[in-house]
Amino acid sequence: MDRRIYDGTRRRYVRGARVPIDFEGELYPAFEGEPLAVALFASGVQVLSRSSKYHRPRTFFCLSGSCGSCLMRVDGLPNMKSCRSPAHAGCRCSRQNAFPSARFDVFAAADWIFPHGMDHHTLATSSRLMNEVMKKIVRQLGGLGQLPVAPPAAMPGARRRHVDIAVVGAGPAGMAAAAAAAEGGAQVLCLDEGDLPGGSLHSHPEFGSEEAARRAAELRDRGVEIAARAAVVGYFPPDSRRSEPTLAVVTEAGLVELTADRYVYACGSHDQNALFEDNDLPGVLSARAVGLLAVRYGVRPAERAVILGGGPYARALAQELLTTGVEARVIDGIGERPVLARGSSWIEALDYVDLKGKVKRAKCDLCAVAALPAPASELPRQHGARVVLDERCGGFAVVGDRHGRTTATHAYACGDCTGFVGPARAAAEGQVAGLSAALDLRESPPLRRRRDQAAEALGVTP
Amino acid sequence: MSRKIIVCRCEDVTLEDIRGAIERGYRDIEEVKRYTGLGTGPCQGRECMCHCAVLIAQRTGQPVGSVPPFTTRPPLTSSALKHFVLPTGARDAAPAAPARRGGADAK
Repeated sequence: MDRRIYDGTRRRYVRGARVPIDFEGELYPAFEGEPLAVALFASGVQVLSRSSKYHRPRTFFCLSGSCGSCLMRVDGLPNMKSCRSPAHAGCRCSRQNAFPSARFDVFAAADWIFPHGMDHHTLATSSRLMNEVMKKIVRQLGGLGQLPVAPPAAMPGARRRHVDIAVVGAGPAGMAAAAAAAEGGAQVLCLDEGDLPGGSLHSHPEFGSEEAARRAAELRDRGVEIAARAAVVGYFPPDSRRSEPTLAVVTEAGLVELTADRYVYACGSHDQNALFEDNDLPGVLSARAVGLLAVRYGVRPAERAVILGGGPYARALAQELLTTGVEARVIDGIGERPVLARGSSWIEALDYVDLKGKVKRAKCDLCAVAALPAPASELPRQHGARVVLDERCGGFAVVGDRHGRTTATHAYACGDCTGFVGPARAAAEGQVAGLSAALDLRESPPLRRRRDQAAEALGVTP
Repeated sequence: MSRKIIVCRCEDVTLEDIRGAIERGYRDIEEVKRYTGLGTGPCQGRECMCHCAVLIAQRTGQPVGSVPPFTTRPPLTSSALKHFVLPTGARDAAPAAPARRGGADAK
């Protein structure tokens, strides 16, 4: 089975050389750089992992490093996100936490034994002997994956770096912020966890990877340095070791202790699931993961898809799927609500309540959940920025003024981490935040006028 | 699979578990987190925290905007430990680690 699209008449898919990957002793086709999760999905592998407690079958949900359900053992290292692990020559991967195999896992019996959930506060306390036995078993099962067999060949060590303006996230908001910040003459570094800059553009049918590449090239022309595969893993306030607030950045070459005069947070948002029975069944994927498969990776996501959600992205995705020959149907989640995903190791049908309150069944081999994503506000929160829970924003949104300034010192925020806004408005917000950060460092009346105009335009269009 | 509504995919915490915790009197998001294990897995609450916070607001009658998130700490994403140790060859020459504040040293 190969779900990849090769004609490429509508979109151009950038693929590396063919490199077969070893998955549990068998060779599977892959393209160099393609995430392992995508390569395995394209070959029809349905279960990538088993859940920690009930050993329920799982596969990737978000395909963008947010969720924890695609963890595999890759090249001898446990708990690697297979959505972030690129295929390469000689690559070996396998599933973890299942016995005898993830396809058939005897520990999945836990799911049946505890239909109403396992409450570890009251578990097996009736008999002392039983308690001891249970503890022994649970200790064997606990934890994720097995340790690596060998230590790393070398400890890379850390280096320090300082820039004028650090922009965290190279999605539509971050790229616009970096471009605007550079206009004031500042030295700008734009960091992103993904392998390519572009963020949510890659999953959006109306933008896509070609638009992401175009914006990234433009940004480099303006003198902005873009660091891909650079994960900002934490904010550290000044202490006895460092006099300035520092971002810890994990890169392939080692840790970078990054300081900046101004910080712009454009961290994007995390995909959210909808709440219905067996909503974790493989085949229930986030809509943006489905968008990534179809738009960026050129993989046909399904034969028959149900899209959950009534927003503009759900409609754009439905259109994209229809043009790639996928039968797509939208359930808006308001009038019609999902109640149960059916299937054993992959979705086969979705039960939903229709407008009249009757339960109907939609046969499908994919359910794309287009719920409002939650702002990725963790890093600005660590920096001290105030956040507030707002359901219309999808979660805990960073509070900012009309110029993108947060409540934390020298910190700005823009795009989805201030409440889900989508790619177009994210870019507009990014421009305002980037210009504000640049103006903070160096006053310039023409830049200020542009910033104020852009901020005003944002205020008018909600 | 037995039918479950999973809120926290990493730790298999169900909607029933969260409702049960709130009914037992755990009404603060940090309490619900500790009682159920929600948000303590590889994704650190990226997928479940907002659902849980909204649920607490609904069940306790608090305004949604008054529910705080739980504390976020580094590392934000799973990262290899090799990035946080001294480079190969530098360990013997390194000065002793600074005294810890809090924890076992804070006597």
